[in-house]
Amino acid sequence: MNDNIYLPRTATIQSMRPETIDVTTFRITIDDSSGPEEFDYRSGQFAELSVLGVGEAPISISSSPTRPEAVEFSIRRLGQLTSALHDLEPGDKIGIRGPFGNCFPLEEIEGKNLLIVGGGIGLAPLRSVILNVFDNRAKYGKIDIIYGARSPQDLVYTSEYEEWGKVDNSRLHLTVDRGDDEWKGNVGLVPTFLKEIKPSPENTTSITCGPPIMIKFVIEALHELGFSSEHIITTLERRMKCGVGKCGRCNIGSKYVCLDGPVFTLKELKEMPSD
Amino acid sequence: MKATSAELQTRVKDLFEDGTISHFIGYETGSDSLRVAPCFLEGSQEIGRLVWNPVCANNLAKYLLDFKNVPGRVGIMVKGCDSRSVVELLKENQIDRDRVFIVGVPCSGIVDREKLLQVMGISPTQVVAVQDEGDSFLVTLTDGEQRVDKEKVLRDECLVCRYPNPPVYDVLTGETVSRLPWVGDDYSMVKEQEALSLEEKATYWNRELSQCIRCYACRNICPVCTCSECIFDKKAPRWISKANDLSENLVYHLIRAFHVAGRCVDCGECERACPMNIPLRRLNKKVEKDMLELFNYTAGIDVEQQPPLTTYRVDDLDEFM
Amino acid sequence: MLDALAQAYDLIAPVQGNNISFRRVESGSEVTLDYINPMLSAKSTFFPQTETLFRFSRDDSEEFGIEPAREPGRSQVIFGIRACDARSLRLMDMVFDGQHKDSYYLDRRKNTTLMGLACFDYLETCFCPTFGIDPASGEDVDILFSDVGDRFLVEAFTEKGTALLERFAEFFAELRGDEEQLREGRKAGLAGMKRLDVKGIADKMAQLYEGPYWDDIGTRCLGCGICTYLCPTCHCFDIADVSLDEGGERFRCWDSCMFPEFTLMVSGENPRPNQKARVQQRFFHKLKYFHDRNNELACVGCGRCVRHCPVNIDIAQIIDDVSSGKAGNE
Repeated sequence: MNDNIYLPRTATIQSMRPETIDVTTFRITIDDSSGPEEFDYRSGQFAELSVLGVGEAPISISSSPTRPEAVEFSIRRLGQLTSALHDLEPGDKIGIRGPFGNCFPLEEIEGKNLLIVGGGIGLAPLRSVILNVFDNRAKYGKIDIIYGARSPQDLVYTSEYEEWGKVDNSRLHLTVDRGDDEWKGNVGLVPTFLKEIKPSPENTTSITCGPPIMIKFVIEALHELGFSSEHIITTLERRMKCGVGKCGRCNIGSKYVCLDGPVFTLKELKEMPSD
Repeated sequence: MKATSAELQTRVKDLFEDGTISHFIGYETGSDSLRVAPCFLEGSQEIGRLVWNPVCANNLAKYLLDFKNVPGRVGIMVKGCDSRSVVELLKENQIDRDRVFIVGVPCSGIVDREKLLQVMGISPTQVVAVQDEGDSFLVTLTDGEQRVDKEKVLRDECLVCRYPNPPVYDVLTGETVSRLPWVGDDYSMVKEQEALSLEEKATYWNRELSQCIRCYACRNICPVCTCSECIFDKKAPRWISKANDLSENLVYHLIRAFHVAGRCVDCGECERACPMNIPLRRLNKKVEKDMLELFNYTAGIDVEQQPPLTTYRVDDLDEFM
Repeated sequence: MLDALAQAYDLIAPVQGNNISFRRVESGSEVTLDYINPMLSAKSTFFPQTETLFRFSRDDSEEFGIEPAREPGRSQVIFGIRACDARSLRLMDMVFDGQHKDSYYLDRRKNTTLMGLACFDYLETCFCPTFGIDPASGEDVDILFSDVGDRFLVEAFTEKGTALLERFAEFFAELRGDEEQLREGRKAGLAGMKRLDVKGIADKMAQLYEGPYWDDIGTRCLGCGICTYLCPTCHCFDIADVSLDEGGERFRCWDSCMFPEFTLMVSGENPRPNQKARVQQRFFHKLKYFHDRNNELACVGCGRCVRHCPVNIDIAQIIDDVSSGKAGNE
């Protein structure tokens, strides 16, 4: 069965935790595996999740391989497949293919400070990095997480912020585009907030993910702050089908987002056409 | 088609230079002398690219909507059939009349490439030019000239053409054409089909439509297929899948035939584009005949005429009620 | 001989229908040799337009049974494949092999013997010598048939080919000694073939990301799938599920980068939002991106797209314009 790259394995949904009105974190275990080695993934990779009869879609993995009990995906209800997933319940089965794609270069950035900038559901793949580096705390320097969403109701992983806040030499900076009566935190767009915080580029690597327009402005802001192109890393989204570089759909120039990405440095992005 | 390329170029050049138009849609020579490509001009500098000859098959009305928002007026050259498509687009308010400048070119038949090559037993690289000489075409070859009867090499839709002169235009380039002598019963092909039994019809269409590779060329080249999101591209709900089995193919072709009912002018582009030689005109012509018989309606003649399928009249047929 | 082949294997050969295409035949009488190149390439033999990947069923306990839809290794012979199509298979191998192996395609490749037919004539749209393809050679096939006038010269180029010839030895006669000479004579007819200059074309394309050259072509292009579906090296596909009463199946089918919704994301964003961007993608993929990854250009000069594009978008013309620099100076 493993030699057929299009055949999904089955997995069981263990739990579904709503993050916002349209985002839910699915915790799954793979059925035919006897342990974590069977679904050996790295932070930054994605999997193709299926609801058989409806279809398949690429979803980034938001859990960390340092916590192998289950694999997690945070999914927004947007199209046919994601709606079908949201309509399932714990105990239901889904199909899973993968893991696919490249990963964040966590070994290469050991010893560096990390600046993680996320927007909206873009925090999902970043969470894999966050939990991974938290679990390997000693290997990294200062960790700053800047995260924002459209409104307080759109923030994801709010139930984990307290745990994150307890981690040594790291800080979570939150912002929302629009506040409400109860919101006491910062109000403003993520790129603006980033510029106000003015993080130092000294020995720091930045990883960012969010809506394409946010990524664009965050990268510009990071540039202005003095971050070099090799040290700005992002993860891209494209319509995908096969996930293995054959169906020809996800290429940006000569790179396939499913094979050579989805993680790219700004240096690599600059060499690609403006697709 | 008595106008020459030079006469057309002069006409269009004047239109650019006196500011009547800011863009022009026409034809230019293609990969060989039996091919043309649609050509888009934004001024008179490259006017020499424009050609007008018996090879100009494309229905340029297809491109009209791409120029809906240009600052000036878009000029377009149209044969009889093409201008009828423009009439349909105007009827449907797809584009305002005053945004378009129609250069009508009366046409007495377009050459069918494959027929010409077969009848004359030549290869395309031997052909230098094709000229209209009334009842025949004068074909200039690399080693001489030959005349060939039009009836033998015209495109199928030209053999039944009733509108060689554009019914709507702003200016006419070339002399009007009197009735084409070879046109007889334009529905002979449809009547042939109607005479078959139900089983024979099913066998025929199942065989033809199972060859369809769903390239959607017929839809994309059709001047009246203008939906910005075609029903067949929708994912939610998904009406047909991309798989090309007979069932999906039938749904696609039959629905498209109904969608163009009363709007199709038999320009023949769908059949010309089809790489699998599926007889699409045989299907669309049947719908055209039905529209004539049921509603006494012919598409593309009069901009003021109300399309029967989108207007209600008290005396509409309702024999099923 | 074809009859015997059809008995022993699945024989795929050119058949006259509305046009000439490769189809499975039961006897030699169905085969026609009256073609330069069949309309649809042999690509559909290895990568069918619609192909079931697997079937699934649900039972009462909500357990899924997933069953791959693979035929047991059927041995196939393709007869009458031309040099351009044979080369295209080598290019397709680069896509379907690699880090992730597409067993559907690769198994068929392994189980198929290619019997090529040498070209001694050509259409005005053919330009395979541009890509280093010799129309009369058997470089990419197992066995080559060359019509030298009154008989066929038959040569094997691979072990697979030799084995098949030995198995069907009864149909072949001794060489008379003049075959090579006759072949050279017939090859003289290929002298006029279009041979474009593609040296460094990937780099030349890189200069043309911006600029007006693609505007006209983009406006002209109808966005249909003729070029991609007829092209022997185009491999884009879609994957979709069909739900039936007790389960269903997942299939893949050809798709085209020319279609507007090819890269449309559920969020509504489309990185290639207009036809100009999509046209650019096609030509850049053929002449640059594929080359960047695999060191080969993804065109074999078969000319099908040129023959059948209803608006006469001509890749040979584009190659010429890019190579000569005309594309940049417009």
